[in-house]
Amino acid sequence: MELWRYRHLVKMLVARELKVRYKNSVLGFVWSIVPPLLQVLVFTFLARNAFGVPAKNYSAYLLCGLIPWTFFNTAILDASQSLVINYTMIRKVYLPREAIPLANVLSNFVHFMLGWVVYFAAFLVIARAFGGGIPLLPSMVFFPFLVLLEALLVTGCALFVSALNVFYEDVKYVLQTLFSLAVFVLPVLYPADLIYYSNTVQHHPWLFKLYLITPIAALIDAFRHCLLQSISPGTINMHLAGKPSLPFQPAEFAVSCVITIFTAWGGYAYFNARKWQFTERP
Amino acid sequence: MHNAIEVRNLCKQFRVRHRSHLKVRLMSMFKPTQPIQTFLALQDVSFTVPHGQTVAIIGRNGSGKSTLLSLLARVYRKTSGEILLYNPQGGPARTAPLLDLSAGFHLDLTGMDNILFFGAILGYSQKEMQDRFDSIVEFAELGDKVDTTLRNWNEGARLRLGFSIAVHTNPDILLVDEVLAVGDEAFQAKCYALIRRMQAQGKTILFVTHDLRAVERVAQRVIWLKQGHLHMDGPVQEVLSAYRVFSAEQGLESMK
Repeated sequence: MELWRYRHLVKMLVARELKVRYKNSVLGFVWSIVPPLLQVLVFTFLARNAFGVPAKNYSAYLLCGLIPWTFFNTAILDASQSLVINYTMIRKVYLPREAIPLANVLSNFVHFMLGWVVYFAAFLVIARAFGGGIPLLPSMVFFPFLVLLEALLVTGCALFVSALNVFYEDVKYVLQTLFSLAVFVLPVLYPADLIYYSNTVQHHPWLFKLYLITPIAALIDAFRHCLLQSISPGTINMHLAGKPSLPFQPAEFAVSCVITIFTAWGGYAYFNARKWQFTERP
Repeated sequence: MHNAIEVRNLCKQFRVRHRSHLKVRLMSMFKPTQPIQTFLALQDVSFTVPHGQTVAIIGRNGSGKSTLLSLLARVYRKTSGEILLYNPQGGPARTAPLLDLSAGFHLDLTGMDNILFFGAILGYSQKEMQDRFDSIVEFAELGDKVDTTLRNWNEGARLRLGFSIAVHTNPDILLVDEVLAVGDEAFQAKCYALIRRMQAQGKTILFVTHDLRAVERVAQRVIWLKQGHLHMDGPVQEVLSAYRVFSAEQGLESMK
Protein backbone atom coordinates (compact mmCIF):
# COMPACT_ATOMS: atom_id res chain seq x y z
CA MET A 1 0.00 0.00 0.00
CA GLU A 2 1.22 3.42 -0.94
CA LEU A 3 0.60 5.00 2.45
CA TRP A 4 3.07 2.60 3.98
CA ARG A 5 5.85 3.92 1.76
CA TYR A 6 4.95 7.39 2.93
CA ARG A 7 4.70 6.50 6.62
CA HIS A 8 7.49 8.95 7.46
CA LEU A 9 5.40 11.68 5.93
CA VAL A 10 2.31 10.71 7.92
CA LYS A 11 4.42 10.66 11.07
CA MET A 12 5.82 14.10 10.28
CA LEU A 13 2.37 15.48 9.46
CA VAL A 14 1.03 14.28 12.80
CA ALA A 15 4.02 15.72 14.66
CA ARG A 16 3.54 18.97 12.79
CA GLU A 17 -0.15 19.11 13.72
CA LEU A 18 0.68 18.54 17.36
CA LYS A 19 3.51 21.08 17.39
CA VAL A 20 1.79 23.83 15.46
CA ARG A 21 -1.39 23.72 17.51
CA TYR A 22 0.39 25.13 20.53
CA LYS A 23 3.16 26.92 18.65
CA ASN A 24 3.13 30.22 20.50
CA SER A 25 1.75 29.15 23.85
CA VAL A 26 3.78 28.84 27.00
CA LEU A 27 1.85 25.98 28.55
CA GLY A 28 1.59 23.94 25.34
CA PHE A 29 0.06 20.53 25.89
CA VAL A 30 -1.65 21.63 29.11
CA TRP A 31 -4.16 23.39 26.86
CA SER A 32 -5.49 20.10 25.56
CA ILE A 33 -6.35 19.02 29.12
CA VAL A 34 -7.48 22.19 30.89
CA PRO A 35 -10.54 23.14 28.75
CA PRO A 36 -12.32 19.76 29.02
CA LEU A 37 -11.47 19.67 32.73
CA LEU A 38 -13.04 23.09 33.24
CA GLN A 39 -16.02 22.00 31.15
CA VAL A 40 -16.54 19.01 33.44
CA LEU A 41 -16.15 21.13 36.57
CA VAL A 42 -18.72 23.68 35.42
CA PHE A 43 -21.20 21.09 34.19
CA THR A 44 -20.90 19.04 37.36
CA PHE A 45 -21.32 22.14 39.49
CA LEU A 46 -24.43 23.12 37.53
CA ALA A 47 -25.84 19.61 37.65
CA ARG A 48 -25.40 19.39 41.42
CA ASN A 49 -26.54 22.90 42.32
CA ALA A 50 -28.88 24.17 39.61
CA PHE A 51 -30.53 20.97 38.41
CA GLY A 52 -30.26 19.02 41.66
CA VAL A 53 -28.77 15.87 40.14
CA PRO A 54 -27.82 13.60 43.02
CA ALA A 55 -26.05 10.98 40.84
CA LYS A 56 -22.79 9.70 42.31
CA ASN A 57 -19.75 10.19 40.07
CA TYR A 58 -21.68 12.40 37.68
CA SER A 59 -18.42 13.80 36.29
CA ALA A 60 -17.30 10.29 35.31
CA TYR A 61 -20.55 9.80 33.36
CA LEU A 62 -20.09 13.19 31.76
CA LEU A 63 -16.47 12.58 30.72
CA CYS A 64 -17.39 9.19 29.28
CA GLY A 65 -19.57 11.06 26.79
CA LEU A 66 -17.41 14.13 26.43
CA ILE A 67 -14.15 12.38 25.48
CA PRO A 68 -15.53 10.37 22.53
CA TRP A 69 -17.65 13.32 21.42
CA THR A 70 -14.73 15.77 21.44
CA PHE A 71 -12.61 13.39 19.36
CA PHE A 72 -15.44 12.93 16.88
CA ASN A 73 -16.21 16.59 16.36
CA THR A 74 -12.72 18.15 16.48
CA ALA A 75 -11.13 15.50 14.25
CA ILE A 76 -13.85 15.86 11.62
CA LEU A 77 -13.84 19.66 11.77
CA ASP A 78 -10.03 19.78 11.51
CA ALA A 79 -10.00 17.28 8.65
CA SER A 80 -12.69 19.16 6.74
CA GLN A 81 -10.31 22.11 6.39
CA SER A 82 -7.11 20.11 5.96
CA LEU A 83 -6.99 19.86 2.17
CA VAL A 84 -7.85 23.52 1.70
CA ILE A 85 -5.19 24.60 4.20
CA ASN A 86 -2.57 22.44 2.50
CA TYR A 87 -3.76 23.32 -0.97
CA THR A 88 -0.52 24.97 -2.11
CA MET A 89 1.31 21.83 -1.12
CA ILE A 90 -0.83 19.33 -3.01
CA ARG A 91 -0.70 21.55 -6.07
CA LYS A 92 3.07 21.53 -6.16
CA VAL A 93 4.33 18.17 -4.99
CA TYR A 94 3.02 14.66 -5.16
CA LEU A 95 2.08 12.98 -1.94
CA PRO A 96 -0.68 10.49 -1.19
CA ARG A 97 -3.50 12.90 -0.54
CA GLU A 98 -5.25 10.78 2.05
CA ALA A 99 -2.20 11.35 4.27
CA ILE A 100 -3.37 14.91 5.00
CA PRO A 101 -6.82 14.26 6.54
CA LEU A 102 -5.49 11.07 8.13
CA ALA A 103 -2.81 13.08 9.92
CA ASN A 104 -5.56 15.26 11.39
CA VAL A 105 -7.43 12.22 12.59
CA LEU A 106 -4.29 10.73 14.12
CA SER A 107 -3.23 13.90 15.92
CA ASN A 108 -6.70 14.19 17.41
CA PHE A 109 -6.53 10.51 18.26
CA VAL A 110 -3.46 11.30 20.38
CA HIS A 111 -5.51 13.84 22.31
CA PHE A 112 -8.35 11.33 22.58
CA MET A 113 -6.08 8.74 24.16
CA LEU A 114 -4.57 11.38 26.41
CA GLY A 115 -8.10 12.17 27.56
CA TRP A 116 -8.66 8.53 28.51
CA VAL A 117 -5.36 8.39 30.38
CA VAL A 118 -6.45 11.39 32.47
CA TYR A 119 -9.88 9.79 32.94
CA PHE A 120 -8.52 6.47 34.21
CA ALA A 121 -5.92 8.16 36.36
CA ALA A 122 -8.54 10.38 37.95
CA PHE A 123 -11.31 7.88 38.60
CA LEU A 124 -9.53 4.52 38.88
CA VAL A 125 -6.49 5.68 40.81
CA ILE A 126 -6.72 9.09 42.45
CA ALA A 127 -10.42 9.17 43.38
CA ARG A 128 -10.28 5.60 44.69
CA ALA A 129 -7.41 6.49 46.94
CA PHE A 130 -9.82 8.95 48.58
CA GLY A 131 -12.58 6.36 48.84
CA GLY A 132 -14.60 7.43 45.77
CA GLY A 133 -14.04 6.65 42.12
CA ILE A 134 -15.37 3.87 39.93
CA PRO A 135 -14.94 0.11 40.30
CA LEU A 136 -13.05 -2.11 37.84
CA LEU A 137 -15.60 -3.87 35.67
CA PRO A 138 -15.25 -7.00 33.51
CA SER A 139 -16.92 -5.14 30.64
CA MET A 140 -13.84 -2.88 30.43
CA VAL A 141 -12.14 -5.51 28.26
CA PHE A 142 -14.25 -4.19 25.35
CA PHE A 143 -12.74 -0.73 25.72
CA PRO A 144 -9.96 -1.17 23.08
CA PHE A 145 -12.54 -2.47 20.61
CA LEU A 146 -14.68 0.64 21.09
CA VAL A 147 -11.65 2.90 20.66
CA LEU A 148 -10.82 1.22 17.35
CA LEU A 149 -14.41 1.41 16.21
CA GLU A 150 -14.56 5.13 16.87
CA ALA A 151 -11.24 5.64 15.06
CA LEU A 152 -12.73 3.82 12.06
CA LEU A 153 -15.88 5.94 12.13
CA VAL A 154 -13.97 9.20 12.44
CA THR A 155 -11.58 8.23 9.62
CA GLY A 156 -14.44 7.48 7.25
CA CYS A 157 -16.24 10.73 8.03
CA ALA A 158 -13.00 12.74 7.87
CA LEU A 159 -12.08 11.41 4.42
CA PHE A 160 -15.55 12.12 3.07
CA VAL A 161 -15.84 15.58 4.57
CA SER A 162 -12.34 16.69 3.58
CA ALA A 163 -12.90 15.72 -0.06
CA LEU A 164 -16.31 17.34 -0.16
CA ASN A 165 -14.98 20.57 1.34
CA VAL A 166 -12.58 21.08 -1.57
CA PHE A 167 -15.54 21.57 -3.89
CA TYR A 168 -18.12 23.01 -1.51
CA GLU A 169 -16.65 25.14 1.22
CA ASP A 170 -20.07 25.35 2.85
CA VAL A 171 -19.23 22.04 4.49
CA LYS A 172 -17.52 23.76 7.39
CA TYR A 173 -20.58 25.82 8.29
CA VAL A 174 -22.91 22.86 7.94
CA LEU A 175 -20.68 20.84 10.26
CA GLN A 176 -20.38 23.63 12.82
CA THR A 177 -24.15 24.00 12.96
CA LEU A 178 -24.77 20.27 13.15
CA PHE A 179 -22.17 19.71 15.85
CA SER A 180 -23.34 22.56 18.05
CA LEU A 181 -26.82 20.99 18.07
CA ALA A 182 -25.65 17.41 18.26
CA VAL A 183 -24.00 17.92 21.63
CA PHE A 184 -27.49 18.36 23.10
CA VAL A 185 -29.20 15.63 21.08
CA LEU A 186 -26.55 12.96 21.59
CA PRO A 187 -26.23 11.28 24.97
CA VAL A 188 -23.20 13.40 25.91
CA LEU A 189 -24.46 15.42 28.90
CA TYR A 190 -26.96 12.76 30.02
CA PRO A 191 -27.38 9.00 29.58
CA ALA A 192 -29.47 7.61 26.70
CA ASP A 193 -32.05 6.46 29.27
CA LEU A 194 -33.43 10.00 29.43
CA ILE A 195 -34.22 9.91 25.73
CA TYR A 196 -35.83 6.49 26.13
CA TYR A 197 -38.19 7.70 28.84
CA SER A 198 -39.18 10.89 27.03
CA ASN A 199 -42.84 11.16 26.02
CA THR A 200 -42.29 11.19 22.27
CA VAL A 201 -40.14 8.08 22.31
CA GLN A 202 -42.56 6.23 24.60
CA HIS A 203 -45.23 6.74 21.93
CA HIS A 204 -42.93 5.92 18.98
CA PRO A 205 -40.46 3.27 20.16
CA TRP A 206 -38.85 2.99 16.70
CA LEU A 207 -37.39 6.46 17.22
CA PHE A 208 -35.21 5.11 19.99
CA LYS A 209 -34.02 2.24 17.80
CA LEU A 210 -33.05 4.81 15.18
CA TYR A 211 -31.28 6.83 17.86
CA LEU A 212 -29.25 3.85 19.03
CA ILE A 213 -28.10 2.78 15.58
CA THR A 214 -26.65 6.23 14.87
CA PRO A 215 -22.96 5.30 15.07
CA ILE A 216 -21.74 8.16 17.28
CA ALA A 217 -24.69 7.91 19.70
CA ALA A 218 -24.20 4.15 19.84
CA LEU A 219 -20.50 4.57 20.57
CA ILE A 220 -20.98 7.07 23.38
CA ASP A 221 -23.65 4.83 24.90
CA ALA A 222 -21.38 1.80 24.54
CA PHE A 223 -18.44 3.59 26.18
CA ARG A 224 -20.65 4.33 29.17
CA HIS A 225 -21.94 0.78 29.46
CA CYS A 226 -18.42 -0.54 29.10
CA LEU A 227 -16.70 1.70 31.65
CA LEU A 228 -19.38 2.44 34.21
CA GLN A 229 -22.14 0.68 36.10
CA SER A 230 -25.57 1.55 34.80
CA ILE A 231 -26.99 4.57 36.50
CA SER A 232 -30.61 4.70 37.57
CA PRO A 233 -32.43 7.40 35.58
CA GLY A 234 -34.04 8.76 38.74
CA THR A 235 -30.71 10.09 39.96
CA ILE A 236 -30.37 12.29 36.86
CA ASN A 237 -33.98 13.40 36.49
CA MET A 238 -36.19 13.03 39.56
CA HIS A 239 -39.35 12.66 37.49
CA LEU A 240 -37.98 9.29 36.46
CA ALA A 241 -37.55 8.03 40.03
CA GLY A 242 -38.21 4.32 40.29
CA LYS A 243 -37.78 3.60 36.57
CA PRO A 244 -35.27 0.84 35.83
CA SER A 245 -32.09 1.77 33.97
CA LEU A 246 -31.76 0.64 30.40
CA PRO A 247 -29.54 -2.38 29.67
CA PHE A 248 -27.05 -2.41 26.80
CA GLN A 249 -28.79 -3.17 23.46
CA PRO A 250 -26.55 -5.59 21.52
CA ALA A 251 -28.75 -5.83 18.41
CA GLU A 252 -28.87 -2.07 17.80
CA PHE A 253 -25.17 -1.83 18.55
CA ALA A 254 -24.39 -4.52 15.97
CA VAL A 255 -26.34 -2.55 13.36
CA SER A 256 -24.43 0.61 14.27
CA CYS A 257 -21.16 -1.32 13.80
CA VAL A 258 -22.22 -2.31 10.31
CA ILE A 259 -23.09 1.33 9.56
CA THR A 260 -19.69 2.40 10.88
CA ILE A 261 -17.90 -0.04 8.59
CA PHE A 262 -19.92 1.16 5.61
CA THR A 263 -19.16 4.78 6.55
CA ALA A 264 -15.44 4.05 6.62
CA TRP A 265 -15.57 2.23 3.30
CA GLY A 266 -17.81 4.84 1.69
CA GLY A 267 -15.68 7.75 2.90
CA TYR A 268 -12.56 6.16 1.49
CA ALA A 269 -14.24 5.31 -1.81
CA TYR A 270 -15.53 8.85 -2.24
CA PHE A 271 -12.12 10.30 -1.42
CA ASN A 272 -10.42 8.02 -3.94
CA ALA A 273 -12.90 8.87 -6.66
CA ARG A 274 -12.35 12.58 -6.13
CA LYS A 275 -8.70 12.88 -5.22
CA TRP A 276 -7.39 13.67 -8.69
CA GLN A 277 -9.84 16.51 -9.09
CA PHE A 278 -8.50 18.34 -6.02
CA THR A 279 -5.75 20.12 -7.93
CA GLU A 280 -8.11 21.06 -10.75
CA ARG A 281 -10.85 22.76 -8.81
CA PRO A 282 -11.85 26.19 -10.13
CA MET B 1 17.66 -0.02 -22.24
CA HIS B 2 15.07 2.49 -21.10
CA ASN B 3 15.30 6.21 -21.42
CA ALA B 4 14.96 8.38 -18.32
CA ILE B 5 11.72 9.95 -19.50
CA GLU B 6 9.37 8.45 -22.05
CA VAL B 7 6.27 10.44 -22.90
CA ARG B 8 3.89 9.10 -25.54
CA ASN B 9 0.80 10.78 -26.99
CA LEU B 10 0.24 12.71 -23.77
CA CYS B 11 -3.01 14.67 -23.56
CA LYS B 12 -4.32 16.74 -20.72
CA GLN B 13 -7.82 18.09 -20.73
CA PHE B 14 -9.15 20.49 -18.13
CA ARG B 15 -12.76 21.23 -17.42
CA VAL B 16 -13.51 24.89 -17.64
CA ARG B 17 -15.50 25.64 -14.54
CA HIS B 18 -17.17 28.88 -13.71
CA ARG B 19 -18.05 29.73 -10.16
CA SER B 20 -21.79 29.56 -10.26
CA HIS B 21 -24.63 30.34 -7.91
CA LEU B 22 -26.32 27.55 -6.05
CA LYS B 23 -29.53 28.29 -7.94
CA VAL B 24 -27.87 27.78 -11.30
CA ARG B 25 -26.28 24.57 -10.11
CA LEU B 26 -29.54 23.18 -8.79
CA MET B 27 -31.37 24.04 -11.98
CA SER B 28 -28.71 22.47 -14.16
CA MET B 29 -29.21 19.25 -12.23
CA PHE B 30 -32.70 18.96 -13.70
CA LYS B 31 -32.11 20.21 -17.20
CA PRO B 32 -28.60 20.15 -18.56
CA THR B 33 -28.28 23.60 -20.09
CA GLN B 34 -24.91 23.57 -21.79
CA PRO B 35 -22.34 20.82 -22.30
CA ILE B 36 -19.32 20.96 -20.00
CA GLN B 37 -16.67 23.16 -21.57
CA THR B 38 -13.26 21.61 -21.82
CA PHE B 39 -9.87 22.93 -22.69
CA LEU B 40 -6.94 20.92 -24.02
CA ALA B 41 -3.77 22.06 -22.28
CA LEU B 42 -1.60 19.40 -23.93
CA GLN B 43 -2.37 17.60 -27.17
CA ASP B 44 -0.57 14.50 -28.31
CA VAL B 45 2.85 15.35 -26.91
CA SER B 46 5.53 12.69 -27.36
CA PHE B 47 9.22 12.83 -26.57
CA THR B 48 11.92 10.80 -24.85
CA VAL B 49 14.84 12.01 -22.77
CA PRO B 50 17.89 9.75 -22.39
CA HIS B 51 19.65 9.49 -19.02
CA GLY B 52 21.89 12.40 -18.16
CA GLN B 53 20.41 14.90 -20.59
CA THR B 54 19.36 18.40 -19.61
CA VAL B 55 16.31 19.60 -21.50
CA ALA B 56 14.82 23.08 -21.46
CA ILE B 57 11.13 23.60 -22.18
CA ILE B 58 10.22 26.96 -23.66
CA GLY B 59 7.08 28.56 -25.01
CA ARG B 60 4.74 31.47 -24.44
CA ASN B 61 2.55 31.77 -21.35
CA GLY B 62 -0.27 29.24 -21.46
CA SER B 63 1.48 26.94 -23.90
CA GLY B 64 1.37 24.00 -21.48
CA LYS B 65 4.87 24.06 -20.02
CA SER B 66 3.86 24.01 -16.39
CA THR B 67 1.08 21.51 -17.09
CA LEU B 68 3.64 19.16 -18.60
CA LEU B 69 5.92 19.47 -15.58
CA SER B 70 3.01 19.02 -13.17
CA LEU B 71 2.01 15.85 -15.02
CA LEU B 72 5.54 14.51 -14.71
CA ALA B 73 5.50 15.38 -10.99
CA ARG B 74 2.16 13.55 -10.60
CA VAL B 75 0.32 16.62 -9.36
CA TYR B 76 -2.20 16.23 -12.20
CA ARG B 77 -3.52 13.02 -13.66
CA LYS B 78 -3.10 12.62 -17.41
CA THR B 79 -6.20 12.41 -19.59
CA SER B 80 -4.62 9.95 -21.99
CA GLY B 81 -1.22 8.83 -23.20
CA GLU B 82 1.74 7.43 -21.32
CA ILE B 83 4.40 8.77 -18.95
CA LEU B 84 7.24 6.49 -17.89
CA LEU B 85 10.11 7.56 -15.64
CA TYR B 86 13.10 5.27 -15.10
CA ASN B 87 16.33 5.41 -13.12
CA PRO B 88 19.55 4.33 -14.89
CA GLN B 89 19.13 0.78 -13.55
CA GLY B 90 15.73 0.51 -15.20
CA GLY B 91 13.69 0.79 -11.97
CA PRO B 92 11.17 3.52 -11.16
CA ALA B 93 12.87 6.90 -10.94
CA ARG B 94 13.03 9.17 -7.93
CA THR B 95 11.99 12.63 -8.98
CA ALA B 96 12.57 15.88 -7.14
CA PRO B 97 9.97 18.38 -8.24
CA LEU B 98 10.94 22.02 -7.84
CA LEU B 99 7.66 23.50 -8.97
CA ASP B 100 7.44 25.92 -6.12
CA LEU B 101 10.26 25.90 -3.65
CA SER B 102 8.33 26.90 -0.59
CA ALA B 103 5.21 24.77 -1.19
CA GLY B 104 6.10 22.06 1.29
CA PHE B 105 7.15 24.42 4.05
CA HIS B 106 5.35 25.32 7.17
CA LEU B 107 6.13 28.80 8.40
CA ASP B 108 5.57 28.01 12.07
CA LEU B 109 8.18 25.29 12.21
CA THR B 110 11.94 25.72 12.43
CA GLY B 111 14.28 25.18 9.50
CA MET B 112 15.38 21.91 11.05
CA ASP B 113 11.80 20.58 11.27
CA ASN B 114 11.07 21.75 7.76
CA ILE B 115 14.09 19.87 6.41
CA LEU B 116 12.78 16.66 7.95
CA PHE B 117 9.27 17.41 6.72
CA PHE B 118 10.18 18.28 3.16
CA GLY B 119 12.35 15.16 3.06
CA ALA B 120 9.37 13.10 4.17
CA ILE B 121 7.30 14.53 1.29
CA LEU B 122 9.97 13.31 -1.10
CA GLY B 123 9.84 9.91 0.59
CA TYR B 124 12.88 9.99 2.91
CA SER B 125 13.02 8.93 6.53
CA GLN B 126 14.09 11.15 9.39
CA LYS B 127 17.39 9.30 9.68
CA GLU B 128 18.23 9.76 6.00
CA MET B 129 17.54 13.48 6.25
CA GLN B 130 19.58 13.91 9.42
CA ASP B 131 22.59 12.41 7.64
CA ARG B 132 22.32 15.10 4.98
CA PHE B 133 21.47 17.85 7.41
CA ASP B 134 24.88 19.55 7.55
CA SER B 135 25.44 19.72 3.81
CA ILE B 136 21.90 21.04 3.25
CA VAL B 137 22.41 23.84 5.77
CA GLU B 138 25.83 24.64 4.41
CA PHE B 139 24.72 24.86 0.79
CA ALA B 140 21.74 27.03 1.69
CA GLU B 141 24.05 29.35 3.68
CA LEU B 142 21.75 29.28 6.68
CA GLY B 143 24.05 29.00 9.67
CA ASP B 144 22.28 29.29 13.02
CA LYS B 145 19.07 30.37 11.31
CA VAL B 146 17.94 26.73 10.97
CA ASP B 147 16.85 26.78 14.59
CA THR B 148 14.39 29.64 14.10
CA THR B 149 10.95 29.46 12.49
CA LEU B 150 10.62 30.14 8.78
CA ARG B 151 8.18 32.97 9.41
CA ASN B 152 11.09 35.23 10.25
CA TRP B 153 13.19 34.32 7.22
CA ASN B 154 13.44 36.32 4.03
CA GLU B 155 12.13 34.92 0.76
CA GLY B 156 15.63 34.21 -0.51
CA ALA B 157 16.57 32.09 2.48
CA ARG B 158 13.43 29.94 2.13
CA LEU B 159 14.19 29.50 -1.54
CA ARG B 160 17.75 28.44 -0.84
CA LEU B 161 16.54 25.90 1.70
CA GLY B 162 14.03 24.39 -0.72
CA PHE B 163 16.53 24.08 -3.53
CA SER B 164 19.17 22.73 -1.21
CA ILE B 165 16.89 19.99 0.15
CA ALA B 166 15.68 18.95 -3.29
CA VAL B 167 19.15 18.53 -4.75
CA HIS B 168 20.60 16.83 -1.69
CA THR B 169 18.02 14.06 -1.73
CA ASN B 170 19.86 12.59 -4.70
CA PRO B 171 17.04 12.37 -7.23
CA ASP B 172 17.35 10.63 -10.60
CA ILE B 173 15.26 13.26 -12.34
CA LEU B 174 15.04 16.91 -11.39
CA LEU B 175 11.99 18.90 -12.52
CA VAL B 176 12.50 22.65 -12.25
CA ASP B 177 9.81 25.22 -12.97
CA GLU B 178 11.09 28.77 -13.32
CA VAL B 179 12.28 28.92 -9.76
CA LEU B 180 15.94 29.73 -10.19
CA ALA B 181 15.13 33.19 -11.47
CA VAL B 182 14.10 34.31 -7.99
CA GLY B 183 17.30 34.11 -5.97
CA ASP B 184 19.99 36.78 -6.02
CA GLU B 185 22.90 36.83 -8.44
CA ALA B 186 25.35 35.01 -6.20
CA PHE B 187 22.93 32.24 -5.31
CA GLN B 188 21.91 31.77 -8.94
CA ALA B 189 25.55 31.30 -9.86
CA LYS B 190 25.79 28.71 -7.12
CA CYS B 191 22.70 26.92 -8.42
CA TYR B 192 24.08 26.76 -11.93
CA ALA B 193 27.34 25.38 -10.59
CA LEU B 194 25.35 22.74 -8.75
CA ILE B 195 23.31 21.93 -11.85
CA ARG B 196 26.59 21.39 -13.70
CA ARG B 197 27.69 19.05 -10.94
CA MET B 198 24.44 17.11 -11.22
CA GLN B 199 24.88 16.96 -14.98
CA ALA B 200 28.35 15.53 -14.41
CA GLN B 201 26.82 12.92 -12.10
CA GLY B 202 24.55 11.86 -14.93
CA LYS B 203 21.26 13.22 -13.57
CA THR B 204 18.42 13.97 -15.93
CA ILE B 205 17.11 17.52 -15.66
CA LEU B 206 13.98 19.02 -17.17
CA PHE B 207 13.42 22.70 -16.68
CA VAL B 208 10.96 25.36 -17.72
CA THR B 209 12.13 28.90 -18.18
CA HIS B 210 11.68 32.14 -20.06
CA ASP B 211 15.32 33.03 -19.56
CA LEU B 212 16.87 32.09 -22.92
CA ARG B 213 20.37 32.90 -21.70
CA ALA B 214 19.99 30.30 -18.97
CA VAL B 215 18.89 27.83 -21.63
CA GLU B 216 22.07 28.48 -23.58
CA ARG B 217 24.14 28.04 -20.46
CA VAL B 218 22.91 24.66 -19.24
CA ALA B 219 20.59 22.92 -21.69
CA GLN B 220 21.67 20.32 -24.22
CA ARG B 221 18.35 20.25 -26.00
CA VAL B 222 15.24 22.42 -26.21
CA ILE B 223 11.57 21.53 -26.52
CA TRP B 224 9.28 24.31 -27.71
CA LEU B 225 5.62 24.01 -26.80
CA LYS B 226 3.05 26.05 -28.69
CA GLN B 227 -0.61 26.02 -27.68
CA GLY B 228 -0.37 22.57 -26.17
CA HIS B 229 1.45 21.03 -29.12
CA LEU B 230 5.07 20.03 -29.30
CA HIS B 231 6.13 22.56 -31.91
CA MET B 232 9.84 21.94 -32.15
CA ASP B 233 12.34 19.62 -30.48
CA GLY B 234 16.04 19.79 -31.22
CA PRO B 235 19.51 21.20 -30.53
CA VAL B 236 19.70 24.38 -28.47
CA GLN B 237 20.77 26.94 -31.07
CA GLU B 238 18.44 25.68 -33.78
CA VAL B 239 15.30 25.87 -31.63
CA LEU B 240 16.29 29.08 -29.92
CA SER B 241 16.89 31.00 -33.13
CA ALA B 242 13.52 29.87 -34.50
CA TYR B 243 11.90 30.85 -31.21
CA ARG B 244 13.53 34.27 -31.26
CA VAL B 245 12.19 34.92 -34.75
CA PHE B 246 8.73 33.81 -33.62
CA SER B 247 8.84 36.01 -30.53
CA ALA B 248 9.92 39.01 -32.57
CA GLU B 249 7.04 38.46 -35.01
CA GLN B 250 4.57 38.19 -32.17
CA GLY B 251 5.94 41.39 -30.71
CA LEU B 252 5.60 43.22 -34.03
CA GLU B 253 2.04 41.99 -34.50
CA SER B 254 0.95 43.28 -31.15
CA MET B 255 2.39 46.69 -32.04
CA LYS B 256 0.24 47.05 -35.13
